[in-house]
Amino acid sequence: MAQEKNPGGFRYIGKQRRTKEYPRFVTGRGRFVADIALPGMKHVALVASPYPSARIVSINTAAARALPGVHYVLTGEEFCAATDALAIGVDAPKVARYSLANGVVRYAGEWVAAVVADTRAIAEDAVELVEVEYEPTPHVIDPEQAIKDGSPLVHPAHGSNIILKKHFVWGPVNAAFANAKHKLVLRAIWGRSSTVPIETFGVAAQWDAGQQILDIWASIQMPKFPDQAARALRLPGNAVRVHFDVDVGGSYGVKRGIKHTVLVGYLARRLGMPVRLIEDRLENMRGGDMHGPDRIFDMEVAFDDDGTLRALKIRALDDVGAYAGRSPFQLGKPVTAICGPYRIAAVEYEPTAVLTNKTPEEAVRGFGQAPTNFAIERTLDCVARHLKMDPIEIRRRNLIRANEFPYLIPSGSTYDSGDYHAVLDKALNAIDYPALVKERDAARRAGKLAGIGIATCLEPNGGNSGFEPLLNPKTDTTTWMDSCVVRVDLSGAITGVMGTSSSGQGHETLVSTVIGEVLEREPADIRVVRADSLQALPSNSPVGSRMAIMLGGAAAGAARKIKDTLIEIAAHNLQCTIESVEYSDGNAAVRGHPDQRIPWDELIAIAHRKIHQMPPGIEPGLQAKFVWEVPTGGKLPAADNTIQIYPCYSFEAHVVYVEIDRDTAAPVLRKYVCGHDCGVMISPDIVHGMTYGGIAHGIGAALYEKFSYTADGQLESGTFMDYLLPSAMEVPTITIVDHCTPSPLTTFGQKGSGEAGYLGAPAAIANAINDALAPIDGRIDTLPITHDALWRVIRGAASPGD
Amino acid sequence: MKAASFDYVRAASITEACELLRQDGGDVKLIAGGQSLTPMMAMRLTRPSRLVDINEIDALKFIKLDNNTARIGACTRQCVVAADNALAARVPLLRRALAWVGHTQTRNRGTLGGSLAHADPAAELPLVAQVLDARLQIRSTSGTRTLPASEFFIGPLTTALEAHECLEEIYWPVWTEHRTGCAFTEVSRRHGDFAIIEACAQIAVDADGRCMRASFGLGGGGTIPLAFPALAATLIGTQLDDAVLKGVTQDAAAELDPGGDLHASAGYRKHLAAVLATRVLRAAYDEAYGKA
Repeated sequence: MAQEKNPGGFRYIGKQRRTKEYPRFVTGRGRFVADIALPGMKHVALVASPYPSARIVSINTAAARALPGVHYVLTGEEFCAATDALAIGVDAPKVARYSLANGVVRYAGEWVAAVVADTRAIAEDAVELVEVEYEPTPHVIDPEQAIKDGSPLVHPAHGSNIILKKHFVWGPVNAAFANAKHKLVLRAIWGRSSTVPIETFGVAAQWDAGQQILDIWASIQMPKFPDQAARALRLPGNAVRVHFDVDVGGSYGVKRGIKHTVLVGYLARRLGMPVRLIEDRLENMRGGDMHGPDRIFDMEVAFDDDGTLRALKIRALDDVGAYAGRSPFQLGKPVTAICGPYRIAAVEYEPTAVLTNKTPEEAVRGFGQAPTNFAIERTLDCVARHLKMDPIEIRRRNLIRANEFPYLIPSGSTYDSGDYHAVLDKALNAIDYPALVKERDAARRAGKLAGIGIATCLEPNGGNSGFEPLLNPKTDTTTWMDSCVVRVDLSGAITGVMGTSSSGQGHETLVSTVIGEVLEREPADIRVVRADSLQALPSNSPVGSRMAIMLGGAAAGAARKIKDTLIEIAAHNLQCTIESVEYSDGNAAVRGHPDQRIPWDELIAIAHRKIHQMPPGIEPGLQAKFVWEVPTGGKLPAADNTIQIYPCYSFEAHVVYVEIDRDTAAPVLRKYVCGHDCGVMISPDIVHGMTYGGIAHGIGAALYEKFSYTADGQLESGTFMDYLLPSAMEVPTITIVDHCTPSPLTTFGQKGSGEAGYLGAPAAIANAINDALAPIDGRIDTLPITHDALWRVIRGAASPGD
Repeated sequence: MKAASFDYVRAASITEACELLRQDGGDVKLIAGGQSLTPMMAMRLTRPSRLVDINEIDALKFIKLDNNTARIGACTRQCVVAADNALAARVPLLRRALAWVGHTQTRNRGTLGGSLAHADPAAELPLVAQVLDARLQIRSTSGTRTLPASEFFIGPLTTALEAHECLEEIYWPVWTEHRTGCAFTEVSRRHGDFAIIEACAQIAVDADGRCMRASFGLGGGGTIPLAFPALAATLIGTQLDDAVLKGVTQDAAAELDPGGDLHASAGYRKHLAAVLATRVLRAAYDEAYGKA
C-alpha cells in the first residue's frame, strides 16, 4: 500500500489528542471479565499439585462434593476423555497438554481438579476437601541438567526433554571466526520473569442448549483463540462465540488462558450452568502458565582491532517449563533481528527449548526479543571492554547506516528503514552525555560505584508468524492478516468495527484516528466497537506490536473504500468524472467549482435511501471491509532457512546512569533517557505510555522480577512479597526522545511500538551496572541483578579469596 | 484467596473485646488495621474462627504526651502517629521509622499496636520499641499488666500476648537531653518491603560531643529485632570515633543469627547489619552534636 500522505501533513495522526479509552478507564467504567455477572453463574477453584513430578494414585472427591453449595468436582480422567489436547506450535505431538492433569503431574501448581460452587469461597473450601494421593517421582528443575542423559523425562512419551532444537548458519561464520583478529565468549542469563498484569486471567462461559452455542467472555489476548477453544472442546467453530467487548486489565502477551477457557467451557456445557473462573494471584503465579522466557545464552563473537564485528554465534537454551503452547516460538522471533541493529554479515544460531518440571512459559512482550537483545548488547559491551573502546564508539562503528536501508540481514529479513545514529545522538544529547560522564567520574572519585549503560536495540513488529514454518516444517502458515469494517449510518455517524480485544493498547483511538484521517472527519465522534468472533472479520489479535501497522492499515483501507464510494456518488450526481471530484471534510465538490457541491449529509442520504441517485453497480448502504496482509509476508522459508518474518523495525537507544552504594550494594537508577523511533506515531500519548511502561517492565526484569524455584521444585516467589514488581519508588524519571523514520511499507509510515522500552531497558541497565563494576573488575551477566549478587561481586573485589 | 469461614464481632469497648477474647479461648484474633492479618487469612495461612474488630473502640486511639512519656493507644493509625508534630518533637524515631513502614495507603489503615502485636522480625515499629525500651500495657478481663519491649517480643510473629489478652497502649520514653539525635535506615530490595536489614539509633551528647546516652538496634537479622544495651553502654563518654564505632557495630552484627532466603543470604545480612548500624549511630550522633 502506498503512503497516504507525507509524514508531516496529517490532520489527526501524530497529534496529541485525548484517547478514546481514557474517559471510561479513568472514571472506573471499564467492563472487565470480573464485571461479567451471568444469572445463576457458578464459580471455579482449582486443586493444585504440591509436587513437581508425581503419579496421581487416587482422587477422592466425596467430601468436597458433599459440601453444601458445591455443584461438581471435575478431574482429569473425565475431562481428558471428553476434550482434545490443546494446540502445540512445535512438532512434538506427544507433549500433550490438557487443562487438568490426568494420572501424572509435571509441575508444582498444575491443576489436578476443578471445583464448581455457588461462590468462590465455597469452592476454595471444597478444594481443601479433595483428597489426592500422590506418588512423587524424580523431577528436574535445571534446564542444563534436563538435557543430560539420564535426566528424569518430563514427558517420557516424547523421549527427550528437548522439545525444539535447531541449528542455523547464515553467512560465512566459520571463515569469519577463522580470520578475525579477536574472539570472545560470554554467557548471559535471562532470569525467569514475565509480565504480571494487575488483572489475573479470567473467563466466563455459558452454554445455550437451545441454540447449541457456547458464549465466552475472557480477558484474552491470543491469536486463533476461538478456533483453538472450539477444537479442544470438539465443537464446530461456529458453536463458540467469543465476546471481544471485554476490557482486558493488562496482558503484555501472557493473557492466553486457553487451558482456563477449555476447562470453563467444558464445565458450562457439562453442567448447563454459566461458570466463571477468575484466577487468584496464587493460582495465576503458580498454575496460570504465564511465566516468561528463562534463557541461557552462550555467545561467541569475532571482531577486528577497530571493533568491527565480523560474526556472531548464539546458543540459546530456553526453559519452557512442563508443557508448551506457542512458547518455544519465542526462540524464533529473534531470527528476524538476529544481528541486532548491527552490520554483522555472518550469524550462527542454535536455539534449544527444554522441558523441565516448572510452570509453563507463555508469550511475553517482545516474544523472546528482549532476552536476545540483552545478550547481544552485553556482547557489544564486552567487546568494547576488551578493546578498551568506548561503548558508544563501538556501536556507532557497527550500527547500520541510514543510507543502507532497506538492509538485508543474513537470516533473510530486510529492515525497512531507520536512522540509528541519529536516534542514539538524540538520546545522548538529551542526557547531556559529556556532563554525565563527568558526573559519573566525580562519583567514582568520591568512592561510589557509578556506571553509564548504553543499549541500542531493535523492535521487530507487525510480523507474519514466519518463525512457525521455520521452527516447525510441518506448519505452512504464511498469512497473519488483520481486518476492519467501517460503516456510516443514516445519521452520518461513523463506526469502526474491529474483531479482537484490547489489553490497554488503545485500539479504539488507533482505529478512530485512522478513519478520521482518511475520511477527514473528527475522530472523537467515531465509535469503535468489537464484533464477537462469529461476526468479526479475521484478526490475529494484538501480538508482536502489530496493530498500528495491521489494524491501522485495515482501518485505513476500509475507510478509503467508503471515501471512494462517496466520491463516486458525488461524481454521478454532479455529472463529472471521479478525478474531478474534490473531497474535503466529507463534502464533495467539482474541482474549481465550489458551488457545485454535495455535503456529507446528502451523500450519506443518497447512499442509504436514494438508489435512484446511486451510480450503477454501487451497493446501497455505506459499509466497507478491508483485510490487510502483512507487508513483505506470504512466503515460506527458503532452503537456506532465510525468511522475512517481520516487516517493520522500530529502534530504541537507551542511556542509563546508575549508582551503587559500595557498602550496602543497593543500586539506584539516577537518570534514564530513551531515544525512540517507531516511524509515524498515530497517537503519541499511547506510544509514550507504552514505552514508559515497557521501561518500567524492563527495570523489573533487570533488577527485581524472578520466578525462582527451590531445588525440590517449589516456586518460591509465588506472591508479590517475593516476586518483586518495580513500584513508582523504583522507576526513575524517564525522558523519551522521539525520532521519526517513516516505514516505506505501511499506510502512513507507522511502525509498531507495543513492545517499546522493554526490548532495550534490561540490556541498558545491565550494561550500566557492569560499567559501575568495571573499576573493581566486577561483572554480572545474570538477570535479575540482585542486591545480594552485587554484594558478592563487591566483596570479592574488596577482599580476594574471601 | 478467600479466607476460610469465620465469625465476626465488632467490639464496642475494650472491656467487651477482652470479654470476647476470654470466651473464645485460643482461636480468636483481634483485627485492627488488618494490613497483615487479612492477606494471611486470604491465603489461609491463618484461619481464626472469630475476628474481634477493635477499630471502633475510641479509647484505644489516642496520643497523650507529658514530659517524660508519650502514651499511644494501640489502635492509633500509623498515619496519625506519623503526622503528630508534638509527638515527633518528643519521640522523633517513630516518625522516622514510619517513613519506612509500607506505603501511605497501608499506613492510613495500619495501626501502631497492630504492627507490634504482629511482630514481624523485619518490621520497623518493633525495632523502635526495642531501641527506645518502650513498655507495652496489656489488658485482659483479669486486669492489666505491663511488659518492657525486651520481654514482649519472643519470636517471629510471636509475642508475650496470651490468647485472651489485648494490647492496650504503649509508653514511649522521652529523652529530655537537649542534644539528642536519632536515625533510622534500612535496606530492602524495594521501598516499602520488609527490610533485609534495618537499623535505628538514638544518642544524646554533651556540649563537647561526648556521648551521654545511646541506644541502637537491628532488625531483620534474626527471629526478633534486637537492641544492644550493653554495647551501647560502651559508647558512653566517647565521641564515637571510627575505631569505637567499628568495634561496637561489628560486635552487634556478630550477635545476629540471620537466615538466608530468596532476597538475601545470611552473609549479606550480617554485612549489612554492621554497615547500617554504623550509619545510624553516626547519623544520630551528628544530629545530636549538631544541635546548638
